[in-house]
Parts: sequence; structure tokens; C-alpha cells
Amino acid sequence: MNMTSKKEGQSLVSVRGLSKSFGAHQVLRNIDLDVHEGEVVALLGSSGSGKTTLLRCINLLEMPDYGEIEIAGNPIFKCSGEGQTRSSISQKQVNALRSRVGMVFQHFNLFPHMSVLGNVMEGPRTVLKEKPAENRERALDYLAKVGMSDFAERRPDRLSGGQKQRVSIARALNMRPKVMLFDEPTSALDPELVGEVLETMMTLAKEGMTMIVVTHELGFALEVADRVVFLNEGCVEADGPPGDVLLHPENERVQSFVNRFHATAELMRPLLQES
Amino acid sequence: MFDWSVITQNVDLILKGLAITLYYTVVTTVLGLVIGLIVALAQLAKIGVIHWSGRIFVEFFRNVPLLVWLLWSYYALPIFLDLNITKQLAGILALSLYGAAYYAEILRAGIQSLDKGQSDAARALGMSTGQAMHRIILPQAFRRMIPPLAGQTIIQMKNTTLLSVITVPDLLYQAGYISSFTYRPMEVYTAVGVVFLVILIPSNYLARKLETHNS
Repeated sequence: MNMTSKKEGQSLVSVRGLSKSFGAHQVLRNIDLDVHEGEVVALLGSSGSGKTTLLRCINLLEMPDYGEIEIAGNPIFKCSGEGQTRSSISQKQVNALRSRVGMVFQHFNLFPHMSVLGNVMEGPRTVLKEKPAENRERALDYLAKVGMSDFAERRPDRLSGGQKQRVSIARALNMRPKVMLFDEPTSALDPELVGEVLETMMTLAKEGMTMIVVTHELGFALEVADRVVFLNEGCVEADGPPGDVLLHPENERVQSFVNRFHATAELMRPLLQES
Repeated sequence: MFDWSVITQNVDLILKGLAITLYYTVVTTVLGLVIGLIVALAQLAKIGVIHWSGRIFVEFFRNVPLLVWLLWSYYALPIFLDLNITKQLAGILALSLYGAAYYAEILRAGIQSLDKGQSDAARALGMSTGQAMHRIILPQAFRRMIPPLAGQTIIQMKNTTLLSVITVPDLLYQAGYISSFTYRPMEVYTAVGVVFLVILIPSNYLARKLETHNS
């Protein structure tokens, strides 16, 4: 794999030859992906291209069929091929791994029976058995960081989508993860709420958090990501700096994907000029 | 036409019967819920043997009439196991297991009705299956399950009247006993019906209140 990332360092997430099928439908075909410490990688591709499945395989929310995954040098999944024995780590180790990999979901998945603060404190409380005092203080810090301090005692159902997503980012951060996975974090939001979530993510990126972001926000990919990985039908079609991949696409698939966004923009132009 | 003195004269027997009815309702509800939760979790297990033993349990008890199962527990089970089983034990066993099958279905459906995102989020934080159940899934599922659980418990109370068939001295049994020496079945059975109505109409009302409160 060519090293095109801006920030070079130790490979934090390493995926080799990863394949996954749901029944007869092969979602991932022989995927290679390396993410280095401090790198922000945008995973792009049309729906059904396998980007969400790839993300979910990285913390084993989805079990791959074969391939290899390493996180911070620790092998977490290995299976050399069809019919071969699969060496995956014990459930306990999987849980420990997940506790160091933060995940933010498209539909937030906040716990509705807990307050905002309760949500943010839940991981350290239950998984790390941390004492409430420190946990609470840090949780409040993270809520301040995402601009949600004033809502600590609220129930999640009383928040807007953008607020919910910011709380869910704080919830993931409070586990002090090594890497953050974002699964279409702005796709379920009203357009006017997208900005506040992207802004929070940009802050994180600037602070050097390693991030893998499945997104449809080409602007975010261009502005914030160090690297764009474009998936098509379960294969990596393009992998490189966002400017190269998105602005000067060599690949036909990437070109047509990007063109669709241009086409939408073209369609919008007369409407914008009218108003 | 009605002579209510038979009731006032035998009010002690009726109250004794009511106490036994309530006792069996409480004991078999608690046992039924505990066993039902185990069966529900078994049905949700990914391991085939555990999953199927849960399924078979539910199918068995939902398809054998309660009266048949009760009589079998009392008359056939002792022969089968070569043990002495008291009518109290047979009654508790039969009603608890029967109730458990229905409670299990309510609990399973309640757990499965939760959005998969909740267990995804719990697992992504690093929780074990048990932690996710205890902290995230059950507290939410339980809230949704209160109305159907209340409904099933009301049925459970009505089902205890079948215990009179194996001579457990519950409310219905006492009624038969009182009418056997007073020859006033009309007053006595009317009174038993009224007792159930007085207890269960408010209970049903409360259950419905909980339902609208939660939705």
C-alpha cells in the first residue's frame, strides 16, 4: 500500500484481506486498510458499498469471514481463508478492545432511560468500574467540550438530533478511546444541525484523535480528512489525499460518484439564483 | 330469594380461601417470572441447544391445557418420579411453570422489541452481554412489559381457582364446601364471583392506566 497520509506514525488500525458476506451477498472483498495514529480517514462510497460493514468489523460488532485485523499491534481477528480455522480473541478480550475503540452511530443510540450525564458516565461506570467522582468530573468536561454542559440533567428524548449526536460523541470520548469510529454521524440530522456535529468532529481531529469516518459529507472529507478511502462493491477503489481522490479522480467510479454531487449542485443553482 | 346470611356466617372460611388464593397467586407469579426470565433468555441465546430448550418449554406449556397439566402433576408425576408430591407442591409447580411459559413470551418479545442500536451502543462501550442486559436492555424492556405482565398476572390469579380440583382449599374450594352444608350454591358462588370482580376490576384498570402512561 502506498503511504500517502500526511501524518505518519505507528499503524493503529491494520486490516488485511478482510472479507465478509451476508448470506450469498459478499459485502467486503479482500479489503486492506491502514490507519495511523492521529490520522483522520474518511470512508466514502455509495450506499451498499460496504463502508458501514467495514467500520463495524473493526470493533467486531460484525464478525468478518476471513482476513486479519490488528489494533495497536494486537491481533484481534485472523482467519486465512474459507474453511480455515478462525482465531479470534476471547469475548473478554473483545470487550476490552471495544472499550478502547469509541463508536458514534448514525442514529445516536443514546440510552433513553438515563440522563445525558448518565449516558456519558455509563461506560466507565459499568465497564471500567470507575468511581463516580472522577468519572463525573471528566464526563462534565467532555460535555463542556461538545457544548452540552447545560443539558447534563436532561433526558435524551428532549434533545435535538445534533445535540444527541454531540452527547453520543462525549459518551464515546469518556472511555478515552485510542480511535474513534463514526458511522454516518450526520446522515440522520436535519441539514441545519449538521454543522454543530461536524464542528465537534473537527475539534477532535485537530487535537490529534485518530478517526475513521463513514460519511456522505464531501466537504468534511475535503476539509478535515487526511485521507479518503473510496469503497465500491466491497473493494477499495481509491485511497489517497482528499484533494487527489475527490478533485482529480482518476478512477471512473469515483468520478461518477463525485459528479453526482456536482449534478445536485448544478440542479440547485437556478433555485439559489432565484431567491 | 337470596339469603346472604350464609355468607356472613361463613365469612371466616371465605377469607381463609381468599388468603390461600392470594398466596398461590403471589408465589406462582414470582416463580413464574423468575423461570420465565430464564426461559426468555434461553430463547434469545445463540447456542442451538439452549435456544431450542427454551422454545420447547414455551410450546409445551402453551399447548397443554392447564387443567390437564395440573392433574398430571398431582396424579401422574409422583408415579413417574416415584416420589411423594403434596398437592400444594404440585399446585405451585403446575401453575408456576404454566405461567412461566406466558411470562417468557412477554419478556422475550419485550427484549426483542428494543432497537438493535441499544445493544450495539452497549457492546461498543465494551459491555459484556450480562452488563448490557442488566444496565441497558432490561430496564427499558421492563417498562414496556409492565402492562402485558400485569395482564398475565390477572390471568394467573384467575387460574388459581383450578387448584380446587386437587383439593387445595382456595376460595373456590371453600365455596364448594360451604354450599355442601348450607345448600345455598347461588349465594355462595355469587359471592366468590363478586370477590374476584372486586379485586380484579381495579387491577385491570390500573394495568390499563400503566399502558397509557407508558405509551
